[in-house]
Amino acid sequence: MNEFDLDSFSREMPFTMPEHFMEEMTEKVVSQINRQRRRTHERRMYAFFAGAASVAAVAVLLLHPFGGNSLNVPDYDTISQCASIDEVFQNMSSDELGIYSMMSNYYGD
Amino acid sequence: MSKRDSKDSMNSQSSLSVSDESIARMLCDDSHVEQAVRLIMKKYGEQLYWHIRRMVVAHDDAQDVLQETMINVYKYRSTYSNEFPLSSWLYKIATNESLKLLKSKSVGMVSVDDLGDSLKETVRDEAGPDADETLVLLQEAIALLPAKQKMVFNLRYYDDKSYEEIHQIVGDSVNTLKTNYHYAVEKIKKYITDHQL
Repeated sequence: MNEFDLDSFSREMPFTMPEHFMEEMTEKVVSQINRQRRRTHERRMYAFFAGAASVAAVAVLLLHPFGGNSLNVPDYDTISQCASIDEVFQNMSSDELGIYSMMSNYYGD
Repeated sequence: MSKRDSKDSMNSQSSLSVSDESIARMLCDDSHVEQAVRLIMKKYGEQLYWHIRRMVVAHDDAQDVLQETMINVYKYRSTYSNEFPLSSWLYKIATNESLKLLKSKSVGMVSVDDLGDSLKETVRDEAGPDADETLVLLQEAIALLPAKQKMVFNLRYYDDKSYEEIHQIVGDSVNTLKTNYHYAVEKIKKYITDHQL
C-alpha cells in the first residue's frame, strides 16, 4: 500500500461544537469569576473590620484598664495621702458622711 | 446581513484587534478583569477549546477543562509574565488542565498514555455516523499517541505553532519536541496505512 502524505489531509475535525457554545461558556466563566471576586471582597472586608475591631478593643483596654476610672470610689493612695482620719472625714461629701453614719449605726463603733 | 449581525461582527472584529499587551494589562487591573476575560474568550476561546478537545476528545470534558482553564487564568493572572506571548501562557494552562483531566481518568492505570484505547472509542462516539472516515481515522491515530507526542503533534499540525512557541507551552527543548513530532507522524502514518479502507 502506498504511503500517504499527511499534509494532504484536511485540518478539519470530525467533531462539532454545539451552537452558541462559546457565548454560553463566556457567560458561565464570567459569572463564576464574579462570584469569586465577590467572595474575595467579602473576605477582605471581614478581615478589615475584624482587624479594626481588635485594634479598637486593645485601645480601649490600654486607655481604660478594666474600667478603673469609671467607679467613683476613692482609691487607697488618695486616702493614704490624708494626714489624719479627721482629714478623711473633712474630704467626705455630705452624702458620704450620711452613708458613713448609717453604717456606723448599723455595725456599731 | 441584518443590522444586529453586522454590529456583532464589528464587535467581534474590534475584540480581535485588541493587543495581547492591552488584554494582559486589563487582566491585572481588578476593575477590568471581566472585560479582559471576555476579550480572551472572544480572541482565543475557540482555539483553546479545539486544543483541549483534541486532547480530551469528549465535548463534555473539553467544556469542563476550558472552564477550569479560564478560572485559572483569572486566579493566576498575577503570575503572567510579558516575556511570553499571552497565547502561549493560555495554551500552557489549557494543556496542563487537559493533562490533569486525563490523569484523573487514568486512576488505576500505569500512566495517562494507557488511556489511548478508551480515547479511541470516544473518537468514534463523538464523531457520529456522518463524519468523514479519513478524519475519524486520523483522530483515532492521534488518540493512541502518548500524551507528550499528542500535544506536540496537535500544536504543530493543527495550531501551526513554531517549535519555539511549543517550547514555551510544553517546556521541553526544541530538539526533543522535533523528535516527539517525528515519532508522532510516523505512528500516525503507520496507523492510517494499516487501517485505510
